[in-house]
Parts: sequence; structure tokens; C-alpha cells
Amino acid sequence: MPGATASNIRHLLSRSLFGFSSNDYEKAMGYGSLESLVDQAILAPLPLPAPPNAWVSLTPAQAQQDSGDAGRWYTELTQWWNKRMYTQGLNMQEKIVLFLHNHFACERDKVNYPQYMYQQNQLFRKFALGNFKQLVKEISIDPTMLIYLDGNNSRGAAPNENYGRELLELFTIGIGNYSENDVKQAAKALSGYQVRGLTVTYDPARSYTNASLTILGKTAKFNVNTLVDLIFEQKQTAEFICRKIYQNFVYYKADEVFVKKMADVFRANNYELKPLFRFLLLSDEFYKPSILASRIKDPQELIIGALKLLQIPVPDWNNAFELARMLQMQLFQPPDVAGWPGQREWISSTTYSHRGGFTDSLLSGKRYNGVNVTGKLNPLIYARTFSTCEKAVAFVNQLIDLFILFPISDAKRSFLLETMLEGTIAANWSTNTAQADVRIARLLKAMMRMPEFQLN
Amino acid sequence: MAILSGGVSFGIASMPGKAFAQIPAAYAGQAEPGKILVIIQLGGGNDGLNTVIPGEDDLYYAARPNIAIQKTNALKLDQDMYLHPSMVGIKKLYDAGHVAIAQNIGYPNPNRSHFRATDIWNTGSAANVMWEEGWAGRYLMTQYPNFPIQMPKHPMAIQLGSVESLALQSDVGRFGTVFEDPNQFYQLVSGATADTDAPPATQAGDELGFLKQVAASSIQFANVIQASATKGKNSLTYPTTGLGRQLGIVSRLIAGGLTTPVYLVNIGGFDTHANQLTQHANLWKTISEAVSTFQTDMTNQNLADQISVMTFSEFGRRINQNGTLGTDHGTAAPMFVIGKTVRGGIIGANPDLKSVDANGDIKFKYDYRQVYSTVLRDHLGLDNVRTAAIFQSTFERLPIYKNSIEGMPEQVTMELLVPWPNPIRQSALIQYGIFEEATISLGVYDMQGRLMQNLFEGKRAVGSYALTLEGSLFASGHYILSLQNQRGGRLTRSIQIQND
Repeated sequence: MPGATASNIRHLLSRSLFGFSSNDYEKAMGYGSLESLVDQAILAPLPLPAPPNAWVSLTPAQAQQDSGDAGRWYTELTQWWNKRMYTQGLNMQEKIVLFLHNHFACERDKVNYPQYMYQQNQLFRKFALGNFKQLVKEISIDPTMLIYLDGNNSRGAAPNENYGRELLELFTIGIGNYSENDVKQAAKALSGYQVRGLTVTYDPARSYTNASLTILGKTAKFNVNTLVDLIFEQKQTAEFICRKIYQNFVYYKADEVFVKKMADVFRANNYELKPLFRFLLLSDEFYKPSILASRIKDPQELIIGALKLLQIPVPDWNNAFELARMLQMQLFQPPDVAGWPGQREWISSTTYSHRGGFTDSLLSGKRYNGVNVTGKLNPLIYARTFSTCEKAVAFVNQLIDLFILFPISDAKRSFLLETMLEGTIAANWSTNTAQADVRIARLLKAMMRMPEFQLN
Repeated sequence: MAILSGGVSFGIASMPGKAFAQIPAAYAGQAEPGKILVIIQLGGGNDGLNTVIPGEDDLYYAARPNIAIQKTNALKLDQDMYLHPSMVGIKKLYDAGHVAIAQNIGYPNPNRSHFRATDIWNTGSAANVMWEEGWAGRYLMTQYPNFPIQMPKHPMAIQLGSVESLALQSDVGRFGTVFEDPNQFYQLVSGATADTDAPPATQAGDELGFLKQVAASSIQFANVIQASATKGKNSLTYPTTGLGRQLGIVSRLIAGGLTTPVYLVNIGGFDTHANQLTQHANLWKTISEAVSTFQTDMTNQNLADQISVMTFSEFGRRINQNGTLGTDHGTAAPMFVIGKTVRGGIIGANPDLKSVDANGDIKFKYDYRQVYSTVLRDHLGLDNVRTAAIFQSTFERLPIYKNSIEGMPEQVTMELLVPWPNPIRQSALIQYGIFEEATISLGVYDMQGRLMQNLFEGKRAVGSYALTLEGSLFASGHYILSLQNQRGGRLTRSIQIQND
């Protein structure tokens, strides 16, 4: 069992949360063991949160499209979710919800009604530590999914193959483990559903009329539930999902031996997610030195994480929303049904530069294009929340260890110290010296501009 | 510790040297100066049959009772084919002889997954192998053999957008500079820094090295991009669509003097599973207007001879419409190559809707790598050996350009099998087949194209042949095995010799 060392705790928090503040870190250390921390906080059950607003239960109507309400509501929904990530404490729920959103990726551009995507988002929350097989059954007839992958109105006689293909290829068993004919037959088994208002109806007359279907080598009169059961009887399904969890939470190139161990745990627990995550988060594999700081932060981790690090009391959520979009991670709008590919695909010449522009904006109060950002950091108040703040060397080292998980050389530590001291000697440092606020801001900016800051 | 910051130009000295074992400096190519390729990616799988329409084929109308385009509405081309009615601008270019349409383009065992199929088109691989480098990236490696140790003055490839395409990536690094807008990019980069310290040799260190390389190339190129975009002008107003805006920027960058050889722009929305008629019409209207504006602009500025525009999409769509007035994922489809130097017209027979594959879809007639190889050789001026090395095989060119071979590729008259084993430690078995009597030559060339050993020269009757290549006669390294006939046909295989 891995120990509750400072390094292990920081690693666990960075992977299971959207970054962490110095308070979060102190609290986590207080649990004494990784096991207590995981069981009592990280994977503790939470009730479903209250909805963002009353519109979530309005019947979808053209009027909301024409009036632009849908766009405003999507923004509201996104900010509601952002605030949940920001105030998650030491609980992993929202991180898993985002993983599921990325796994069962649907785009708001096609699903014009935020009511549906709110429902889907709560479905992910309900199943974040629940049964994955049951989630697949429910997502297959979820209004958002029916609209997004054209299951809505698909008839058995001439079914739309879109959902059937992605169910097999991306959501469960993975490419190479099924045939073109399986796709066609699955599409029949999935037909007959229609979105009506906020709910979904099934009409047997709109489904297929064949006496039976043959899918993955088995012949039966399949429906959605028995089709999903069949898919989960295939050995590759647990491996496919565990591989994706590994790639998302551990390292983007999966260790196939460990993925098989995860799949064994997943199957032994009838596809329950909670025991699977518990196994992962307490495994030696998760804390191997080669895994530490090997992940490129996704934009939500970067944005929410920077806000937490700086303990911004009232963040500018419009800035967060805009920047996530620039960084190619607009929530509810993944690039396609495969979701965000992650890791190096987050980074191009443009997005890398925008990342630095975002962290700068929290200190300067301005975006790169001059637009004001509210909730700008007060560096002196911030610095004085650290007990080391009057001792230059200790203060800079404490900040580096909090901000950056990648090992930092002594040369770089001195460079950052000099960035703050700006020619004066360490012994003369005090937060009461002239320009101390400017110097602290410069240090924070420099740390968050280091490429090392992008890794967790 | 050296710090790079916005506006200061340095290379990055700490990237892994892996590439240099593979790419000898002498491998650098001598492309014709100034040629530029603009690639338009049509994301989602373009419905080829409703783009270039077999308007005289009853099977087309039978398969698509509700979504076929009536020929009376469509724009007539040659050999009984029609263009979608919204492609007025491209039709004009076609009439002027500036549009080549290569029909039934695909590859063996086509994949219908958006993601896998896109990867195949981006890497230039066969369906049954996974490559992790882009085909354009491998081309750019031949042009910039010192990257990333030394950065050139101008970007090596530019992609308008935010997420870098696999087509531009390589094992040595990313060739693309990616941005939405030149001025905004300049503003953003001005606060950037990157140091030149070597990252540690760990998994995390690899990721850090990658981040540093992106930071360094952004810093390197932001100035020259902004300067070119300011200096270059558009000679006419571009449509206000996303693609129009992207091509307007490409035009300014080229007119402003950037020597970048590859541009990538994109337009999405082609995954037309439901109610496709209006959407598909709008997409091609957008492309047609943007491309014809770009073409006119480049002609006005006397730059048109340098530039070729090529479209690609991950697959075509099913012949039959589905139950929701759309089409599902299919197979082969046409590609467009547009420019003043193309030999206009339709290349290849019309889609055969009768003799279809096991899923009822179009069988491909020409491999997409034949189109890529033609563009690389006849437009970008890359030689045969290096072009073959990019795809690890020779693909017969198509008559797309005025300087391309005349006529369609001949019947297959010979084959050259992959030598075994490869890499070669002591000796390897070389096997080839002759299907039509010919005078041939078989030899080993180095990466500069120099003949190292002549294995056979003379007449060969129809039959299969084998001989042994002694690896010990060569220095360790990469070589090209080449089989030529007197009619100009040439097949090549890359080989690697390892003498301990």
C-alpha cells in the first residue's frame, strides 16, 4: 500500500480533483493514510446537486431557440458546472462526471436544448460511482444521445447506423472487436425510440420486424437491454473501458498488464465504478515515479486549478468560460463523438500561448486582448496566508512545491527566487518592502508561465 | 539558464536526437522553389455521389429516392457527370481547365470509423497498419532535415485552427504552426517564455520537452507571420464564412512572402446522417465560393502558378440513403485538385454502382496515396525515391498536372515484394515478379539517389524471380531498392542495413 507522503498526496489530489489549494492539501494530509483519504473524502458519496435554474424542466420549444434563451442557458449550465468543480473540496465526483461526458461525448451544437444536456449531465453524476453497464443502458435511450447520434426516429426497417456504430466502437467494446454486420444489426436492436418533450417513448411498431438478429455471434430477439448485456459479456469491453480510464487518470499510453488487472476488478464487481476507482487510486501503479507529473493538464484542470491555487474568492466565470473555449475545451461541446483526445492534442502554438495568457490575466486583471478580468489577485493578502511569507527562500520553495509537481532543479529555484527578489538579498525580504506586491505577482506569473506548470 | 521570450529567435537545443539516426542530412530534398500546397480537410465524410453526381445512372436515383440531386438542376461536366448545383464557382474553374477531379479514391479494406479513417488519410498508411507520423510531416522532414535543432526563418507548415492535425506531426516534432488569426497570435506569444535546459529522460521529461518545443517554435514564428500578414493583401473580398476567412489569411501570408510550403485549412459538418440536402448544399456553396475567390485572388497577384489546392475527406458515404433522409459512412469518393497547373477534367471511370463491395458500397479504383504521390512529385517536385519512402511503397501517379505522366497508370506489369528480413543484418531475400516481358534494372541506391549496387540488368520473361542481397557489402544505414523497366515504370522499397 503506497504511503501518505507529501508527493503521493499531491499526485492523488492533482489527478482526482481539478487542482487543489494549499488548504485542500493541508486537509488531505490530515487524513493520515491514503486509504482514509480515498474512502472518506475522494470517493465519498454525494447527493445530486440542485439544478442551475427553473428552465431545466421547461418543455423544449422553438421559442427558446428563436429568443436566444438556449445559448444563455448553456452558458448558465457551464458556469454551474464550473462552480461545482471549483467548490468540490476533496471529492472526485465532478472529475468522473467530466470523464463520462468525454466518454459519451455529445455536442451542444447538435443538441439544441440545454434541458437535455442538463439531464444527461445529472445522469453522469448519478452514475459517477455507480454501475457502468446500467449507465450504458440508460445513455442508449437518453434524449441527448438519441438526438446527437440520430437514434431519434430511427426505424427498424431502415435504421440509422450512427449510434449502433459508436456504441460499439467508442463507448463499449472498441474498434476491431465487431463486424460491419454487427453494426447494422445493433442499429436494428436500438431502433423504435423517439424523443417527446423531456422524455423518450418507445413504439414497437417503429422497431424491427425480423424474427431474430445475430450480433457478436449470438442470435436472439435483441432489445436495448439485452444488447448491452451481450456487449458486456465480451471480455474486451471491460478492458476497453479500463484502458480509457487508465489513459485519462494515469498516463496516456496505457500499461496493458495493469489494464487487465483493472478489468478483472471491474468484472468481479459487476461493472461498478467505485471499487474500480478505489483499486486504481490505492494501487502501487498509480504512484510509480514514472507516472508523476507525466500528464498534460486539460484546460478545465488548468483553469479551475489556477483559481484554486490563487484562492480567488469570486472568480470571473466569463473569463473562465471564454478561455476554456480558446483552449479547445468548451464543456458540452467536445470536438466530435470521440471526445477530447487529450495530452499532447491539447497543445498547439495557439493553445499553449493562450494558457499563459489566462494565468497572466488572473494577476494583471486583463486578458491578452485588453478585456477586463474581475477578481484580480491581491498578492499581499495572498502571500500572507502562507506562514513562510516573510522568509524569502522558504516562501518561494513552498510556492514551487504547491504550484509545480514536476521536479524543479536548484538552478530554477534560484531563478524564481531572484525573480521575486529582483536584486535585493533574501535576508532583506519582507512583504512590507516597497513593491512587494508587484514582485510576488511577478513570481506567480513566472511560475505559471513555466512549461512545467502545464504538467500534473 | 537561458530564457527564450517573445520576439527573440532561438532554436531549441535539447530535443531528442532520434530523428537523426533515421534521416541523414544528405536526405534533404531539393523541391522546386516556391511551390505551395493548400490542403482543405472536409471533416465528417463527404457524400461524393451528391458532390460529383452520376446524373445519367438510373441506379443512383433508385438508391436515393428522396435525396438524389436531379441532373436538370445540376451543373454538367464531362463523361455524363454533374456537379452539385451550389458549386457554381468551382464549375467556372472547371470550365477554365483548372479543376482535376479524381474519381473513386480510396484504399483497400476501407475503415468506416471517422477517427481511424482520418488517421489513415493523415498518416498515408494502409488500413492494416498504425502510423504515428503524418504524411505531410514526413514530407517536411525531407525539406527541413535540421529541424528541430535548427529552426528555419519561416514556418514549415501553417494550419488555420487550434488543434494540430496529425498530418503535420512527426517523430522529430510538430511541423505545424497553428493559429486562428496572425495578429492575435502575435499578441498571445509576446508574453511567452521557454528555456533551453534539457529535460530529464523520463516520461514526464518527454512531455516537458514537447511543451518546450511548441513554446520555442511559437516564439520563433509569431513575428514573421504577423509581418507577412500585414504586408500581404487580398486583391478582392473573401466570403465571410469560416473557410473564406481562412483562405483569405492564407492568401495574405503567401502574398506577404512566407515561403511555407504546406497550408492546412478545414471545414466540418459533412457527417450527414440525417436530413442532408440543405446542409450538404450549404457546405459546398461555402467551399465553392471560398476556393474560387482564392483562385482569382492568387491569379490577380500572379501567384497562381505556385499553388495547388487539394481536398480530402475521411470517407465517402453509402450509396443508399438511410431512413432519416441522410447517408451513413461509406467508402470511395472523389478528390479535387485545383490550380492553374492542373490538367483539368475528370480522371478515371465513373462510380460503378452495380459492381459494389460486400457492404453494397463503391469499390475504390485509385489509392489516395496515388493522389498524394502525384502532388508530392508533380507539384512539390519531390523525387521518386523520397516520395516512395514517405509511403514505404511506390504509388503510380495520376494525370492530375500538366507535367504529370500522360494517360492512366498502366496495367500492373511487375511487382517488387518487401525484402525479408528488413532490417537486413547479413543477407536478405529479394523477390520480384514480371507480368509482361520487359527490360529491367534492379539496384540498390543510397538516400541521395546514387547507385550502390546493380543487382540485375537485362531482359526478363514473365515469371517470379528471387536473389540474395548481401548486407555485409554495405555500410549500415537506409537504402532504396529499385526495380525499373524500360517504359519508365519504377517500384521501390526502403531497406535498412545493420552491420554490427
